[in-house]
Amino acid sequence: MDWGVIILKKGLSYFLIFSVAIVLFGVSAEAKKTVLTPLDKRDWHVTAPQDSDAPLRDYAILYDAGGVDGALGVIGIPSMRTYRHIKCGVDLHNFPFSGSNAGNNNGTPDGKYLYVSDKGADTIVEVNLQTGWPERIFALPKPFGIHHSAALAPNGKYLFATGELTGKMLKLRLEDGATTVLDIPPAPSAPDYPDTSKDGKYVFSGNYYHSAVMVFSQDPFKLIKEIPVGKNPHGTNVSPTNRIVTVCDKLSATLSIIDVENLRVHKVIPVGAGPLHNQIDTLGKYDYISCFVSDSTSKVDLQRFQLVDEFPVHYRPGHNSLAPDNAYYSSQNKFSTGLFTPTGIVFAVNFELQDLDETSATYGKSVKIIPVDGEPHEGRMIFASYIQRWNTGKGQDLFEKGYNLGDVHVSFDNGPGIDSKTRPQLEPVHTADSKRYWIPRDDGKPGITKDGDVYVVRVKAFSYGYVPRFIHVPQGAKVRIILTNIDKAAGLTKNPDVTMGLAAAGYYGPRTMLIGVRGMSIVGEFVARKAGEFEFYCQHFCGPLHLEMRGTLFVDPKGGQASLGVGDYDEISRQETMLDETEHEWIVGTNKLMNTLNEGKEPTI
Amino acid sequence: MNLKRFLLTALVAVCASSFAFIANVEAGVLGNGSAITDTMQIGTITSLGDRKLDIQTKFEKNSKKYSMVMHPEGYVMTALRGQFKKFKELKKGDLIAAYGWYRDGKWIARRIDILDPNDYLVKRLAADAKAGVYYKHER
Repeated sequence: MDWGVIILKKGLSYFLIFSVAIVLFGVSAEAKKTVLTPLDKRDWHVTAPQDSDAPLRDYAILYDAGGVDGALGVIGIPSMRTYRHIKCGVDLHNFPFSGSNAGNNNGTPDGKYLYVSDKGADTIVEVNLQTGWPERIFALPKPFGIHHSAALAPNGKYLFATGELTGKMLKLRLEDGATTVLDIPPAPSAPDYPDTSKDGKYVFSGNYYHSAVMVFSQDPFKLIKEIPVGKNPHGTNVSPTNRIVTVCDKLSATLSIIDVENLRVHKVIPVGAGPLHNQIDTLGKYDYISCFVSDSTSKVDLQRFQLVDEFPVHYRPGHNSLAPDNAYYSSQNKFSTGLFTPTGIVFAVNFELQDLDETSATYGKSVKIIPVDGEPHEGRMIFASYIQRWNTGKGQDLFEKGYNLGDVHVSFDNGPGIDSKTRPQLEPVHTADSKRYWIPRDDGKPGITKDGDVYVVRVKAFSYGYVPRFIHVPQGAKVRIILTNIDKAAGLTKNPDVTMGLAAAGYYGPRTMLIGVRGMSIVGEFVARKAGEFEFYCQHFCGPLHLEMRGTLFVDPKGGQASLGVGDYDEISRQETMLDETEHEWIVGTNKLMNTLNEGKEPTI
Repeated sequence: MNLKRFLLTALVAVCASSFAFIANVEAGVLGNGSAITDTMQIGTITSLGDRKLDIQTKFEKNSKKYSMVMHPEGYVMTALRGQFKKFKELKKGDLIAAYGWYRDGKWIARRIDILDPNDYLVKRLAADAKAGVYYKHER
């Protein structure tokens, strides 16, 4: 054979081999690019494998009811980056996710909604987690005075809420907002923080004036028992196993353990001063308690019923939340005294992330602390995998297909909620129809005087109360409230940046929301258009007896005196000033009652 | 009957009734291991069917067997980082936590979490059980 031919053939072979190698190498290099690198789970920004390997994704989302800023904060876990705020109303407190209450406080979400209570507006706001906007406002029958709406029935169709300001409890049908309202005598009565038993039988709620936990049957909805616990119970949570209820006895520095089967206190555990809220992990092993006075997170072993650890926090923890995989704990601290850069009159409060992994080098340590807007109340976490990726052209699927959680299909057509092909984008008012301004500290005598046709109401706020506690103005009056914080900020539980507030729940919520910092006074002006009895309260957390800091605004109708029975309550119940007139179709419930214990009689599981 | 005998009989009667009372008060799920009425069970999958499964409980003194059916909206996910899985992806031998409730003779699972044996909480339950502090045997 000719050498030239041989060389040519060999060259061709080498060329082919070389080309194939390049192609294979290229393919493998390309394949390598798309293979997700399994990263260590302790890494800050690591997520479960997703449809892209974007390194900045968070594996969980903390939604926090932002209190006085009227917005939900959306915060990534574990990065603690704030993604956005969702405007919901006046003074947000807490919420459950839609779906079922099976599991720990984070429940078994379906990813559709959360239902946040607005203590300032006296409403519950439904927020669509997939669009990121409020869709409906549940307007509660008045007077009610909601504090918490933390408790969902296991079947996801009913919500239970506490009327702290009027001594009532409420069961709400999510489909249409119809309610059953129970009076809880004897006065004073303050149903506070509820949770539902996971088997659909009971609702438990602390009542701090009664120093007891009330037990209701979910269906029919009625009070069946009060169980005496430590003084001024606050956070009340049912364990995932449904075997116990853990109750923070705020003024006794203890955790009462209630045996669900026998409905009695099984054990009382000392946990630290000022226990406010508690969170049980998903396996029911540990309970984490925020201790306001001792500036700490206490950890209780629920098999041994013993305090087993305590982590310092900075400072004055109120609410708290747990990552859905129990890896992190978020302490929602009410004071940041000296920690951050000042950005205005009101100092930012903070969230502090703590590492709960006992095998980690940073176990029990604070691994991140961030300033946050408002004065957040409860937060709950959800795996980020519930929230779908509707951008990049997939938004149509939201209406037509819904989404899958594994092999379970979720659609917005199978309620509760709006089943139309409309997804509202509501932005309820935060403050409106009123005026606020700051003045140098006003040292005028507390009480009511007249300045022309204006009723001038000087109110002094301190730990823990107001002077005067009762304010009477006639319906139609122009009202000017001058609020002065006279707190001495001394003693064990006081911080120098202690802020007092005055918010009159319900109709006058968006018209008050006065912030009282030390050294100056705040003035609020509004017209008292609606008659009725309106409880006002301190909306800025100021100490262990913050909840008990209350007073009453009476707007008296012509020729009479307002009371819980005399007022424009039907009109107020419609909550029409929360939204534009064209959006009123998305206000549901109002004073539509289930009325009797027999209506809505459907098993709660 | 002499006084001594009467007192002895009375003492026995009082002790017996007190014991019966205490036993009655203490009867319940707390401290006695898992119960069918618990709304969360931890166990290893022993058999799988059409959205049905059996588990053998873990970390308690006397392991028990529970049969479960999946709720129509009940889903499966990993307990760590929350990846959703299909029911058919469950395998025999998987350690799971099931959340649901007992009703009309059936334990209905609303959610199943596949647990990671290396998770600190799982390791803690195992270590505690080894040390005689059993799961659902609250003290």
